[in-house]
Amino acid sequence: MSAPRLGVLAVVVVGCLLLGLSAGSVALPPRQIWSGLWHGQGEGAVIIRELRAPRVALAFLVGGSLGISGAALQAMIRNPLAEPYLLGLSSGAGLGAVIAITSRAAGPWAVPLAAFIGALAAVALVYRLSLVSGRRLDPHVLLLSGVVVGAFAGALMSAIMVLSDAPGVRNAFLWLLGGFGGASWQALAVFSAYAAIPLVALFLHARSLDLIALGDEAAHHLGADVDRIRRLVYVCTALLTAASVATCGIVGFVGLVVPHAVRTVFRPLHQTVLPVVFLTGGCFLVLADIVSRTVVRPLELPVGVVTALIGVPLFAVLLRRSLP
Amino acid sequence: MGGIISIYRRFLRPGLGSLPASMFLAGALGGCSPEPRASGLLTTVDDAGDTLTLAAPARRVVSLIPAATELLFAIGAGPHVVGRTQYCDFPAAAEAVPNLGDGIKPNVEAVVAQRPNLVVLYNSGQNAAVAGRLHDLGIPSLRINTDALSSVPRAARMLGLLTGRQRGADSLIEVFDSALANATRNSTARRPKVLLLVWEQPPMTIGRGSFLSELIERAGGDNLFQDVTASSGVVSIEAVAARNPDLIFTTAEGPAAFATRPEWQVVPAVRQKRFLRVTGSEFNRPSPRAPAAIRELTAQLSRLAP
Repeated sequence: MSAPRLGVLAVVVVGCLLLGLSAGSVALPPRQIWSGLWHGQGEGAVIIRELRAPRVALAFLVGGSLGISGAALQAMIRNPLAEPYLLGLSSGAGLGAVIAITSRAAGPWAVPLAAFIGALAAVALVYRLSLVSGRRLDPHVLLLSGVVVGAFAGALMSAIMVLSDAPGVRNAFLWLLGGFGGASWQALAVFSAYAAIPLVALFLHARSLDLIALGDEAAHHLGADVDRIRRLVYVCTALLTAASVATCGIVGFVGLVVPHAVRTVFRPLHQTVLPVVFLTGGCFLVLADIVSRTVVRPLELPVGVVTALIGVPLFAVLLRRSLP
Repeated sequence: MGGIISIYRRFLRPGLGSLPASMFLAGALGGCSPEPRASGLLTTVDDAGDTLTLAAPARRVVSLIPAATELLFAIGAGPHVVGRTQYCDFPAAAEAVPNLGDGIKPNVEAVVAQRPNLVVLYNSGQNAAVAGRLHDLGIPSLRINTDALSSVPRAARMLGLLTGRQRGADSLIEVFDSALANATRNSTARRPKVLLLVWEQPPMTIGRGSFLSELIERAGGDNLFQDVTASSGVVSIEAVAARNPDLIFTTAEGPAAFATRPEWQVVPAVRQKRFLRVTGSEFNRPSPRAPAAIRELTAQLSRLAP
């Protein structure tokens, strides 16, 4: 990793986090933001400490996790279109959320928990379908299984929505479209608890991802246990994505766009790519969240809408520039 | 398609389009009408801007708006309602009317099967195509907006005319207007700021001019998000905290789930559990029951935010 690029990245990360803390419905002077973070009293300080700080931190962590998931899946499946939601996760989570709302499940965590369970159920089903000849995970079967399980869960979700007369089923979609409005230190702690182990595991296997990206045979000859690494990558990305869906709904395009963008600028070795993707993904989502909560103040745009609106043109430009 | 329509015309609705036959039908069914029928055609312009002309008062009405169903019963046209939506739950007598499902993008076949001579539709983009299809089938439809208090007298007048219940409509409007005026609090004393929380996850509120906003204003409170012109929208807790509502309006049954979430504790009204909780469909839709809804809100406002 070259030092100047690393320096630029560090500045960008710090800048994004500060910008995230200072932007919002309430305009606060920088001095008050700083003091509010640590000790200040009054509504302004409370807003910074209890709402904005956990929101920025959660957006950063989720963005980083989705970015890493996308990068690892793209390497594992050897398909540039791979992204965390391709594996049936989003529809599984949506189905869980809609079931929770239509069955009028009470409690503040009912919907996120149901989304998490739905996502994990979809993941487990896709995993089982993709195991061929014993314990080998076939990437092509995995992709197709993800698509069909996703389609099935999506159809069930639509059927429930049409048949249910529960109020607010339509609003379930708003929740699914994603947003960090529900961020709190508690949500951050829960997400971190789920994300820590998969993140560390993926970082530790960066070398293995490089080998796998070379092809099964080459990886095998170079000493990699291809099947074990595949399963590990799958379980880790599934956990990361399910946890992020449960905390903030479905935020698309981060896992697809950010890894590709990083690979056009940095060396494509995963020991470099993974950390850089984590930081860049975090910044991207923090910025998208800033847009989502300021552009139509006092209303909020779903952050998934913003990531697509920013991510797609950015991706198109990078794609054109990287062509020979 | 043309074949189906012609079969439908021949067998299901004999005399469709021929004036004397439908006059006869209406006359036969409307014989017990307590009101003398005005001679000539019944013409009105609906909220979609379409001119609607009936040769005689409609005797088979499909109402695909809960607010319109309520009005039809209130003006005495209840016996002529032959179809309703799954959401039409008031008055209790309405539940005996066949349930035709959804009111937006309704099941046209189910509507046609009731052989209506008037279909009342909510005026939305999706229903424009439905109105067109009904028109092609020779069934007149009335599209109305039922989103504000002002829609009650306007819709009552249109429905009264088209069902031959003008007197019922006129007296309803008179009672409604005076009850509304009596219930309205115009005091300029300190008005509590109320967050109209219509959905918790994500937090959604409604904007100025919406029905609930009107109710709370007339009950003597202020909508916390008066500056929002959209009918509804997602707001951040930060925006709520910054505006510091005196009360939080919720239609949730039982304890409000969001109130226990840590991020909401930033809002003093949540910490101190200052909730204005209502149930009942009179808070869902503009209806003749709106003045009573306003009085209930006024009572709760004076109890919770003295």
